[in-house]
Parts: sequence; structure tokens; C-alpha cells
Amino acid sequence: MSNVLRPYLAAVRSTLTAALTLENFSSQVVERHNKPEVEVGKSKEVLLNPLTISRNENERVLIEPSVNSIRLSIKIKQADEIERILCHKFTRFMMQRAESFIVLRRKPVQGYDISFLITNTHSETMLKHKIVDFIIQFMEEVDREISEMKLSLNARARIVAESYLTAFNS
Amino acid sequence: MILLEPHNVIIQSTLADKIIKPSSVDVQFVDYDGVRFHLSTPERKTVLLLSMHIRCWDELVRYGAIDFLKREYGSLLQSQPEPEYDVSLIIDLEQLPGSNEERDSFIMSVALLKRNALAAPFERGFTSQKGLESAGTGTGDLMQIHYRDEEAIYIQASHDRVTVIFSTVFSDETDRIYGKVFLQEFVDARRQPSIQNAPQVLYSSRDPPLEIRHLPNLRNTDDTGYVTFVLFPRHFANPTNASSTISHIQLFRDYLHYHIKCSKAYMHSRMRHRAAEFQKVLNRAKTEVATTEKKTVSGRTMLSR
Repeated sequence: MSNVLRPYLAAVRSTLTAALTLENFSSQVVERHNKPEVEVGKSKEVLLNPLTISRNENERVLIEPSVNSIRLSIKIKQADEIERILCHKFTRFMMQRAESFIVLRRKPVQGYDISFLITNTHSETMLKHKIVDFIIQFMEEVDREISEMKLSLNARARIVAESYLTAFNS
Repeated sequence: MILLEPHNVIIQSTLADKIIKPSSVDVQFVDYDGVRFHLSTPERKTVLLLSMHIRCWDELVRYGAIDFLKREYGSLLQSQPEPEYDVSLIIDLEQLPGSNEERDSFIMSVALLKRNALAAPFERGFTSQKGLESAGTGTGDLMQIHYRDEEAIYIQASHDRVTVIFSTVFSDETDRIYGKVFLQEFVDARRQPSIQNAPQVLYSSRDPPLEIRHLPNLRNTDDTGYVTFVLFPRHFANPTNASSTISHIQLFRDYLHYHIKCSKAYMHSRMRHRAAEFQKVLNRAKTEVATTEKKTVSGRTMLSR
């Protein structure tokens, strides 16, 4: 992990840990409903201040806490066209499997690449610090995975081009 | 398998089987670029009729494909092709060469039918280059082969080179971006000392090269690109060289797309692996529900329904 990445992830980790104080909260608008308030947004008094942690202009995390749920959205670094398409494919691949990744949201929040929604049920049935670990590890590895995929694409392209052109010599 | 083979494996294996054991057959199959084949025994078990349909047949005929095929297949070539097909060969299994080696090379030449049909304009380009070389200047006529719906090969001879231009269209956004990476590597790869002798490759997206800029009906969209191969006389100096260059360059598009698809498949398996890893990390967060077997006093197991 590079030295620039460390404080960024540390900030996300402590903010997320602090924000994960969720409790059961029934809807004030509809009787006998219990919904993630951050998604519904009908009662303003239970929403807390959203917070953005930016590493640079292309990489940031948005944390939107509320009384019974918290939404965390990540914008992943995309330097060029290839990284953009690889990132899109990878996040889409994850989000299609959202039901097995319990805390993953099926669609990202506008302006971000991938979003997580943690409700009070999740924080009760799962270990809180392990959920934080999962998100931090995801952030750590997604950049590395995308740059590795890009490298392997370039390496493959080089081998393919070389072997095609070498065949002209024979 | 990095390089693709120029011959059709189905023709090759079916013919080899039928030579050993003649039997009636009627198969239709396809090859790259929408080429259709029909192999049948219309009269006797020992007489095979192989027909091929190729999209750009009219253009190929104009560039001398019939002469080329006559030279290659001689009396096998039928003057009247089977209906719905463009060219037909009659193969009499009783009049095949005796020795095994001759037989294998005969099978191979039949399996190269598509390659040979497409080879004619290339060969015409090479001969016209030789003519222009002695004149010292000038350019030959531009040959267009529309071998796919939206893509074409352009061949033009000049006094010191033969230019082969492929127009490429990527239907898929991902393919387009991957294709760009691959084509850029084709351009860059030639800087390596070991492949200095390879033809020069140029790539331009959207803007057609100067040689074909005057043509009407060129697509001018973001997903089009043009790949130019500059073949120098050393690439077709002797017949062996020329024929291997022709076989090789014809497969350029198939080769490129084959490897783009391979990369996509690799990326997919990689993502699958990574998603499984993340799943494991998340599973560690789940609290284990203690499941101990509950027993009654009499020793029976309690089960919740």
C-alpha cells in the first residue's frame, strides 16, 4: 500500500466506523413500514450530514449516514478509456451479484461507480468491524485489480502483435 | 494456439475420412466472413461436390479469381457452379494421387479453397507492382474487396510497395477500446529489432488513409478504423514468400477479433475469481449461528420445522 493511500483509507475507516451506529427505526411516514431512511429521505430529521472524503479529484468516497442505514459510494480512479471500461465491467460484475454481497447496492449513486447500503439489520447480524474491513479491502484491491487487468491486456496485445508480424519473416 | 490456420479444418477432415471410406454425405458449414460451404455426393459415393458461397465473389472475379482457381484446381473446377453458390469443385475419390504425401497436399489445397479465392487480388497486386517497378513510377488501380457487410480490404500496388488497407468496424464499445489497444501494439511492435523486416503497419481511427479518401460510401463514425499494411517487395520476392504472405494477411481481421474475444474471456474469468475473493472477505463478517444438536431426554433429535 502506498503512503498516499494509507491516510485516505484510514480516514474512510474511522469515518465509517463512527457512522455505523445504527438502530432499528420504523418509518414515521407510513405505518408499519421499516425502510432505510437514507434511501427514502422522507423525514429530514433522521438524516445526518453527508460527508465526502477525497483523495484527489478522481477518487472520492461519499458517506451518507442516517438513523437506521448508511450509504457509502465510491468513485474509482479512471485515468483513460481502458480503465474506464474495465472499471465499468468490474463494478457491473459485482453489482449483478449484489444479493450475495449483502451490503452492496444494485445501482451506484449518481456520480459514483459503486455504492454500498448498510442497514441496521446488517450491523446486527454481522460483525461491524468486519464489514468495515470488507469495504476497506475492496477499495484497496479494486485499484490494483484494474491496473493489473490493464497491464495484462497490454502485454497480451504486444505478444499478439509480435507473433503476427514475426510470421511475415518466415 | 496464437496464430490461426488458413485452411478449413472441416473440409480437410471430411475429405480425409471419405478417402479412407467413401460414403454419401451432405453437409453445409461456414467459415470466417460469412463464407458458406456445401459438401455433398450428388451422384455416387465416390464423387464429392464442394461448393462455396463468398460475399464478394463478383469483385473477386473481376480481379482474376477464376484464373487463379483454374491454375490451382485445374479440371476440378466446374464451369457451372451449384445453384446458390459461387464456385464448385468436383472431387473424384477414385482418381486421387497414389502416394500419401501427394494425397495430403491435395487435401490441403482443397481445404484452402477460401484462401485461394481471396488470394487472386493480392497476387494481381504483386504482379502489377513488379510491372510498375520496371517503369519506376506510378500506382496501380485500387482494388476493393467488400468481404463483410461493413468492412472491406483495399489493395493498391505502387512502384516500390503494395498497400493493403483493412477497414474495421467494432460493433461493441468494449471491442472498440480493446481493439484500439491491440492495433496500437501492432504499430509499435515493429520498433523491435527482431521484427524490423515485417511490413509497416499504420492505424488511423475515423480518418481514412489518403489512398482511399476519394472513395464514396466510406463510413465516417467513431467506431471505424483503418489499418494499413505496407508490403515491400521482399515480402513477395519468391512464390513461397508471396503465398505465405497472402495466407497470413487475409487472416488479419479474424486474428485480431479472435484475440479480442480471448482477452474479454480472460478478464471475465479474472473478475469471477476476484468477486469470489471478496465474497470470502464478506463472509467473515457474518456471525456464526451456533447450531448444536438438541436432544430430548429419551435420546431423540429435536428438529425445528
